[in-house]
Amino acid sequence: MAEIYDAIIIGGGHNGLTCAAYLARAGRKVLVLERRHILGGAAVSEQIYPGFTYTVCSYVVSLLRPEIIRDLELPRHGLQILPLVSSFVPMENGDHLALWSDPATTRAELQRHSKRDADAYPEFSQMMYKMGFAVKPILGMVPPNPLSPGVDDLRRLLELGRHAKGLDARTFQQLTKLMTMSATDFLDEWFESDVLKALTAINGIIGTMLGPRSPGTAYVMLHHFMGELDGAFTVWGFQKGGTGAVSNAIAGAARQHGAVLRCNAPVAQVIVRNGQAVGVALENGEEIRARTVVSGLDPRQTFLKLVDSRQLPAEFATAIGNFKYRGSSGKVNLALDGLPTFTSMPDRALLQGMIEICPSIDFVERAYDDAKYGEFSRRPFLDVLIPSTIDPTLAPPGKHVMSIFVQYAPYKLNGGWNAQQRAAFGDAVVNTLEEFAPGIKNLILHRQVLSPWDLEQDFGLAEGNIFHGELTLDQIFFLRPTAGWAKFRTPIRNYYQCGSGTHPGGGITGGPGRLAAMEILRSSK
Amino acid sequence: MTSATAANFGKLAGVAWDAIIVGAGHNGLVAAAYLARAGKRVLVLERQPQAGGAAITEELFPGFRFSSVAEGTGRLFAHVAADLQLHRHGLKLLPIDPLLTAALPNGGCLSFWSDTARTAAEIARHSKADAARWPDFCAAMQRLAAVVARLMMLIPPALPAPSGRDLMELLKLVAPARRLNRKQLADLVRTLPMPVADMLDEWFECDALKAALAVDGVHGVSLGPRQAGTAFVWLLALAAGQVPALAAASQLQGGVGALTQALAKAATSLGAQLRLNTSVQQVVVKDGRAAGVVLASGEEISARVVISNADPRTTFQRLIDPLEVDPVFLRSTDTIKYRGCTARMHLALSGVPRFAFDAAARIRIAPGINYIEQASDAAKYGSWSRQPWLDVTLPTLADTTLAPPGQHVLSIHAQYAPYHLRSQDWDTQRATLGSAILSTLAQFAPDVPQLVLHSQVLTPLDLERNYGLPEGSSTHGEMTLDQALHMRPVPDCAQYRTPIQQLYLCGAGTHPGGGCTGLNGHNAARQVLRDWG
Repeated sequence: MAEIYDAIIIGGGHNGLTCAAYLARAGRKVLVLERRHILGGAAVSEQIYPGFTYTVCSYVVSLLRPEIIRDLELPRHGLQILPLVSSFVPMENGDHLALWSDPATTRAELQRHSKRDADAYPEFSQMMYKMGFAVKPILGMVPPNPLSPGVDDLRRLLELGRHAKGLDARTFQQLTKLMTMSATDFLDEWFESDVLKALTAINGIIGTMLGPRSPGTAYVMLHHFMGELDGAFTVWGFQKGGTGAVSNAIAGAARQHGAVLRCNAPVAQVIVRNGQAVGVALENGEEIRARTVVSGLDPRQTFLKLVDSRQLPAEFATAIGNFKYRGSSGKVNLALDGLPTFTSMPDRALLQGMIEICPSIDFVERAYDDAKYGEFSRRPFLDVLIPSTIDPTLAPPGKHVMSIFVQYAPYKLNGGWNAQQRAAFGDAVVNTLEEFAPGIKNLILHRQVLSPWDLEQDFGLAEGNIFHGELTLDQIFFLRPTAGWAKFRTPIRNYYQCGSGTHPGGGITGGPGRLAAMEILRSSK
Repeated sequence: MTSATAANFGKLAGVAWDAIIVGAGHNGLVAAAYLARAGKRVLVLERQPQAGGAAITEELFPGFRFSSVAEGTGRLFAHVAADLQLHRHGLKLLPIDPLLTAALPNGGCLSFWSDTARTAAEIARHSKADAARWPDFCAAMQRLAAVVARLMMLIPPALPAPSGRDLMELLKLVAPARRLNRKQLADLVRTLPMPVADMLDEWFECDALKAALAVDGVHGVSLGPRQAGTAFVWLLALAAGQVPALAAASQLQGGVGALTQALAKAATSLGAQLRLNTSVQQVVVKDGRAAGVVLASGEEISARVVISNADPRTTFQRLIDPLEVDPVFLRSTDTIKYRGCTARMHLALSGVPRFAFDAAARIRIAPGINYIEQASDAAKYGSWSRQPWLDVTLPTLADTTLAPPGQHVLSIHAQYAPYHLRSQDWDTQRATLGSAILSTLAQFAPDVPQLVLHSQVLTPLDLERNYGLPEGSSTHGEMTLDQALHMRPVPDCAQYRTPIQQLYLCGAGTHPGGGCTGLNGHNAARQVLRDWG
């Protein structure tokens, strides 16, 4: 009890660690408390099966804010992103679509499917790049509150207005469309090839309980394109050692600046005295004092579990109760005895890139329909990566690990999740994969299946939502997590939030952690 | 073309018209009335033998008159109706109560009454908690709707660089918004892009109640209630008094055609000229400016401005010489999503159908959010709902002028029936669709098939062919967020102006969209007058 920290951060996920690193770098005495035995939250690499390292939950990197990489000197601490240079989609008719980071190869491949699309593709990529550029200042900004603006808010709103006015009309219109349309409708304006549309549209459904024909998915698509900025990464990449190594790099930076990081330290409660956070109580009864407490957990845990909701204004508690999570995805990790063979794969080098089981828009839409009515998809969309093909340290020689992100798996499954349902879900995934990679079943040495319920139990993701809450228009920017409280503060003095449930949302961006740290530093100057 | 109308052309051509309005739909008539009221010389040209566009009453079978396309619930925005003093031109409203009756699968029903307490009592049979929230819900939604109503009356700003006048226009929102507290304001901003089902989930637990309300968020759009943006559609409808469960309900005597007849009288009594059976072939463009129109007869009539009540695609792709329009702009009109997804069915009945409850003027068959959502799934894959949701109107319970004594007319709005079928065509599907609609209705009123004297099914294709609604879309383009406000119909003509000077739009394809609000015509006339200074 003797020691009083400047800041205690609850949860050693990548945002909590980022927040800690920034605070420590500014000279604050920081303690990070992690419930599990390992840092990283949903960005962890673990050996669940001896000799095979799974990148258990999140698996690729692209959105990590470049300013964070620079400020925290992450490459010095082990950040090493291996680019993923191809995307491969096996189709149901035995054909395929394979896109490479090399424009000429991609063009030739697209021409096979549609000459018009081959012509439109570079323009589309450029337009998306421009869109990413147009929203970039918003991502790096503490959201102003337009509903009851103070001086700072007005300044930021003016900044935003000037920024918007500076956009050319066409950019602004495309941006409006991206904010409101379905990914399919948006892509229909550009392309005619269904498989190309499907491959592009999946960026709009990942992490979201929406189908490619649902309005709002074009925005999520943009969210996933924002990583292609600043020349930091031109494509999605895989962190050497798995995404756990990203967390470890940020943790390394935090430690270097003096932050104390404790694992196996589950926090039971934030201690609040006279409407002010003064420390935390661990589950083992230990109490630790701090001038500031920051929660990296999702809004539900931050406000409805860690503090007594009677400490919160009723209206606020209701709004947090209405925040939508709706986990829609599961994860299957496989240890393989060898590399699978995909029908119609023209080049084995494609095994080193992304493999997408999304042969058509309808395929994905039907997968969504199942989930809409409370079932997991009988034939789910699969986002597959075999990281051991680019990072051989992850598996014994000749053997491989396969990471399969699966949609859709609704958190609220009819009848609820149990061991039997989890196994059935795993079977649906493997059976779907078997359709496109016959014989893969025989290669499986070990299978880890994570339903949204498991993601909640094991990783603390409310309802298994990988973004700490859906990225829909009513839950972003100054409305994330709720109007009036998007600036990382909370109704409890000295209690802050820094998880993906705050602006700019989910993915390994580090954005919430950094912005929260800046807001904390600003208020305690 | 008869010689009598041909003789009129000479006269028409001689007049120095301030404005020619192409199409006498309700918005064209409203625009005409407002311009005439401002002392302008206005000529309205209508292809059909009667004014009204899609808001007409037709004798489809001898002795039986139907609101054939637009619903009998059509009512102008109160402000427009008052401005044009429609009550003086023969418009008669017949009160109805209950406002809406939702049929439930167990044979019961949930009725909404003009008396809030009575509705709450009805809801209490299903959920006490919901009944307790009902008055608050109505009040809260009406508060939001007041701001939305003001928004609907605005000329949308040109974004991203609004003019000074645009900003002045936006200031009109301040007064109604100030009546909201901070939380209510946040609710408004948050609610607009939401799915209507989510919006209702925050208030109610009873699925039947939510479904009865949610239908108004998916009316005329090819989306289900769990899709984003349907709360926006719902709030627009509420602001226009077209969410029957919450509206001060009445029906128009003589069907929806009575509305446009009254409008036509209002416009002509203010000095506008209306010519029926007069088809416009082309808008004359000289040096990038609209200068008049050419009729199908070859006659040319000039005017200071031309205002098109037609939908945007028809306006730019059929009424204008394509050489006069920038090809990039022309392409943008190709991407407007029309996507008509509704069918109409009209029945002439020998008696009142027997439901498990008292027959009412408006009956809604949409017993559950999943029911509506499942119906919408068909549209995603280019087929029509085997179990559609239905809005049934029985106007003859209150209005005996529409059918022979003792007999009745019943009209159905059925969704989803998408214009674009993937593997079938509407000419072969019409009859099967009709049977599906009838059998859905018969699940709740088993004697209907025996009462049918005549019936007619209107597929989206029929709505296009017979009533000029492109892709069967009665809203001249889907009411989705990406086609609203500064994006409606396309960004370059969201202010009722077009890239062709002196050519304006006033139809449902403009802000604030479809429905019998008259606001498109009202706002367009305001823009024309503003441009004239």
